[in-house]
Parts: sequence; structure tokens; C-alpha cells
Amino acid sequence: MPARLTGHAGALRDAAFALPVVLLLAAMPLVTGAYLLHVLTITLYYVILAASWNLLAGYTGQFSLAQQSFAAVGAYGSGLLIKYFAFPLWASIPCGVVAAALLGWLLGRMVLRMHTIYLAIATWAFAETIHIVLTAAYQITRGELGLSVPALYSNVRPEAYYYTFLGLASASLLLMHLLIRSPLGYFMRAIRDDELRAESMGIDTTRVKVMVFTLSSAFAGLAGAFYAHYTIVLSPQMADFGEMAKLIIMVVVGGLGSFMGPLIGAPPVQIAMTYLARYGEWDMVIFALIVIVLMRTTIGGIVPLAGRAWSRLRPRRGTA
Amino acid sequence: MDALLTTTGLFKRFGGVVAASGVSLSLRPGEIRGLIGPNGAGKTTLVNLITGIYGPSGGDIRFRGESLVGLAPHQIARRGLLRSFQVCRLFGNLSVAENLLVADLARGAHAFAETRQRAARARELLDITNLARLADQPAKALSGGQRALLQVACGFMVPELRCYVLDEPFAGINPVIKDAIVELIRQANEQRGIAFLIVSHEMPVMRRLCHGVSVLMDGHIVSEGTLDEVAAHPQVIAAYLGKSWA
Ligand SMILES: Nc1ncnc2c1ncn2[C@@H]1O[C@H](COP(=O)(O)OP(=O)(O)OP(=O)(O)O)[C@@H](O)[C@H]1O
Ligand SMILES: [Mg+2]
Repeated sequence: MPARLTGHAGALRDAAFALPVVLLLAAMPLVTGAYLLHVLTITLYYVILAASWNLLAGYTGQFSLAQQSFAAVGAYGSGLLIKYFAFPLWASIPCGVVAAALLGWLLGRMVLRMHTIYLAIATWAFAETIHIVLTAAYQITRGELGLSVPALYSNVRPEAYYYTFLGLASASLLLMHLLIRSPLGYFMRAIRDDELRAESMGIDTTRVKVMVFTLSSAFAGLAGAFYAHYTIVLSPQMADFGEMAKLIIMVVVGGLGSFMGPLIGAPPVQIAMTYLARYGEWDMVIFALIVIVLMRTTIGGIVPLAGRAWSRLRPRRGTA
Repeated sequence: MDALLTTTGLFKRFGGVVAASGVSLSLRPGEIRGLIGPNGAGKTTLVNLITGIYGPSGGDIRFRGESLVGLAPHQIARRGLLRSFQVCRLFGNLSVAENLLVADLARGAHAFAETRQRAARARELLDITNLARLADQPAKALSGGQRALLQVACGFMVPELRCYVLDEPFAGINPVIKDAIVELIRQANEQRGIAFLIVSHEMPVMRRLCHGVSVLMDGHIVSEGTLDEVAAHPQVIAAYLGKSWA
């Protein structure tokens, strides 16, 4: 059976891309020091978060600006259950994920009929609300003082956390890959391209959009919950819009709507931002400039650019 | 024979404009009916009413004995009533083959596991439409005619299709592709008994295809019959004055 009718071609290509990246990342602890390993661990957190947003914005065309809040909900959900109800970690983390998913479902229902800029504004307002609640309810969340939560592991070896996040990111990306190749994934891309046509062909677009909001929020919540027990002090900063801006940059630099986009886009952005942080407030400005230059030159991010180069090389080889 | 699709007294008002003022139309199973009428007559509005894009301000639509009023477009599609759009709509970033596949998947969860049948149907349609060599191209890379052809072809991926409403499928399309679309329609009609409601100004094509035509003017049906019968109708002559009908 021809690959293009069963969808195996794209799966193989993605695997061919992803495997070397994952192997390279797995080998990192052998060659890097503790600090860089910490930076990479945080980067993997952003990979999951960026990829979860890519499901919504890149694949379904729902330009939501609330992804960071679901990470915060996952983190605080888990942390608060431990603090107030003495939940064990193995139960509090899944509860954080479920809380994020439920809230994602709710947001999805609220913004169903909204498009483009209206959707962006509504989701932004939602995210700001979460941010404000986390800050203002300081009797519960301790606000800017920070909420202390237990660490994932009793030892402090950075490799343990690094491999945990690498495993988490790999598993998340694999699940997302399966999702995108499933009928639901086709429906997502159909809705992104033309919602009216999708609806007219029999796709229950309402249901698909709410499902994607829910799933994407669950992934963000998962990343957030693990992040909580890595950084061990939670601050409402997690739910700040700056975090969302960072995710957008990561995905857009890598390639919006391309599967490998977040994985390729997150590391350079996170590493550069970490080291640009010494320039204080200027880091965002420097970053904006880099992004503008990238957008002007590569049009659509690194992964699509690489894809075009690859397909330009291939036919030549064939005819030579 | 019982009607497949019936509209009775359909009304639709857009502010001051009455786009449908009591449209009553009936389609038998396996019938190919043309719908003609001057620009702004309300043809597209009727298509949008039938397929649930608009809710009627009054009147009823029945398909296979069931009222469609109040159903969402996807619910109507899943009952075997599909449509194409006057301004061609495709999933531009999906490949040509994927556009066909997604049409089949859209039938619902019961279709998901039928991978082999789906691929076979897509292959057949790619061959018939001569789009096979473009199967992996994104739909947005196609020419206007190819896009129109693909848009119509997508509906034939659906085995449950009973009635296909086509809004100007031939407008601005070269004769070769026009023939390809005509052939697709004729085959689906003869082999699968699919009924068609075709909005078109292309009288030669309508003459080849349609068993009968309905004329829509100012939001209601003014004449019905064979093409020659309606052509003799005074209102139709007035509206199409000076135009040759092939
Ligand atoms: N969404 C809408 N809002 C307001 N008015 C509309 C809308 N859709 C259609 N109309 C009006 O209804 C009338 C009928 O339009 P419609 O598109 O149904 O005509 P048509 O017969 O399909 O014309 P054409 O041959 O140009 O495609 C027109 O006067 C149009 O301006
Ligand atoms: Mg029209």
C-alpha cells in the first residue's frame, strides 16, 4: 500500500529526525557540567510546554495565550494538595494534571465560538486571572513569597532530574505524535485550515476543539507538576505572560505546526535567554530582534526550512 | 416515489434582504436536478439552509423523512447529505491524498478502522481525477480547476453519501476538468444512485446531466421542468434575455 495513503511516510521522517536528537540529549550528562545540565532540564520542561501549545496553535489554529497557566495549575495543584492534604507525590502529580485538564476543558468550552484575535484576548484574560488568583490568594498559595514543595528525589543528583525530564519529554512527544497521526490529528489540521469545510464534511469541530484544549492542558499540567518538584519553590511567576511569550518564540523559531518545531526551537531560545539574563530587561529586546531576523529570513521556522532544504537535495540525488 | 429531500416554504431574511421567501423544492432518490437563477437569486442561501450553515427563519427541510432544521452542519453531513462550496474550499495545507482521507474519517468513529477500504477509495478517486501524481502535494499548490475537481471528489469518499449539493462546480473551469467533474457525477449517479442538486449557469453541461431543473428567482422557485420547458417560461426568458442556452 502506498505510504502516502496510510501516513507512514511522515511518521518515519519524524522518527528519523527525533531519534538523533533524543540520543544526543541522552548523552549530554557525559559531557556537561551541573549548571548546563540544570539549564537543559529546564529546557526539557519548556519543550513539553511548547509542544503542548503547538497542538493548539500550530495544529488546530487555536491561538490560545493561556498555556503557561495550565503548567502553573499543574504545579500548584500538586503542591497545594501536598501542603494541605498531605497527598503523596505519586497521587498529587496526577491530580495536578487532572486539574489542568479540567480547566483546559472549561477554557475550551468558553472560547468555542471565538476566532483569531478574540480568542487570543479571551485566553489572555483567562491566563491573567489565574496569575492574579495565584498572587492574591497568598494565604493559600503564599503568593510572591513562594510555595515550598517537596523534591521529587531525596538525593540531589542533577542527572536524575535530567533523565526524568528527558523521559517525560520523550513520552509526551511520542504521545503527541500518535495523536497527530490519529483521526483526531487529521481533524485538528482540517479545522486549522478551514473550520467551515471541516464542519460541512461531518467533523464535530466543537468536540475536537474542546478535546484539544483538554489534552494540551493536560500535557502542560504534567510538565508543570514535575517542574514544581524539581524547582521546589513555586512562584506565580510561572503563570506570567512572559512565560507564554517565551513559548511562542520557541515554537515559532522551531516551526509553528511542525512536529519537531518545539524540540528544535526550545533549546536555543532557553539557553540564549539564560545567558542573556545578565543583560537584565534587555534580554527580551535582544530576543525580539533575533526572532524578527529569523522570521524575515527563514519564513516559518527552522524545521520547515530544513525540510525545504532536504527536499531540494533529494530529487537531485535521484536524477544524478 | 418518496422524496429524498424536500424543502417547504423556506424563509431566510438578512436584515432587509429576503434571500429565501418560501422556497419549496423536492428531490427524488437518484435524481440529478439543476438549480438555475440569476445572480443574487438566493441559490447559495438555499444550499446554506439545506446544509445547516444558516438556520431558516421559517419553513422546513426534510431529508429521508427527517427534519434537518436545528441540526448542526456536521450532523447533516453524517446523514449522507454533503455539499461543495461556490468559492472552492479545501484543507490547503493537507496533501491532496489527505484531503480525500479526511473526508472519509469525518464520517465518524465507525470509519476509523477501515484503513484499507479508505486507501483503496482514495486511490481510485486519485486515478479517476488524474490527481494521482499530485497526491502528496499540498492542496493549496493545485490549480483552480484541480482544486474544484478535488473539492467535488472528496464527497465521493463517503459511502453513506445519498445527496450531493454542488454550488457552481463548473464556474471558471477548463473543458477538460469540466468533463472530468461531469463524469464523476454521472458515475456516482448511475453506479451508486446518488442524487444531486447542482447550482450552475453552464447550460450545456446542465443539459447533459440534469433530469430536470428548478429556476430560483428573488428567493422562490418560479419554474420547474426540463431545461427546454423552463426556457420557455416568460419570467425565465425575461431574466435571461439575450442569452443563448446552447
Ligand atoms: N450572509 C449574508 N448576509 C447578508 N446578506 C446575504 C448573506 N448571504 C446572502 N445574502 C444576500 O442574499 C441574496 C442572495 O444571495 P445568494 O448568495 O444566495 O445568491 P446566489 O443566487 O447564490 O447568487 P450567485 O449566482 O451570485 O452566486 C443576495 O442579495 C445577498 O446579498
Ligand atoms: Mg451563489
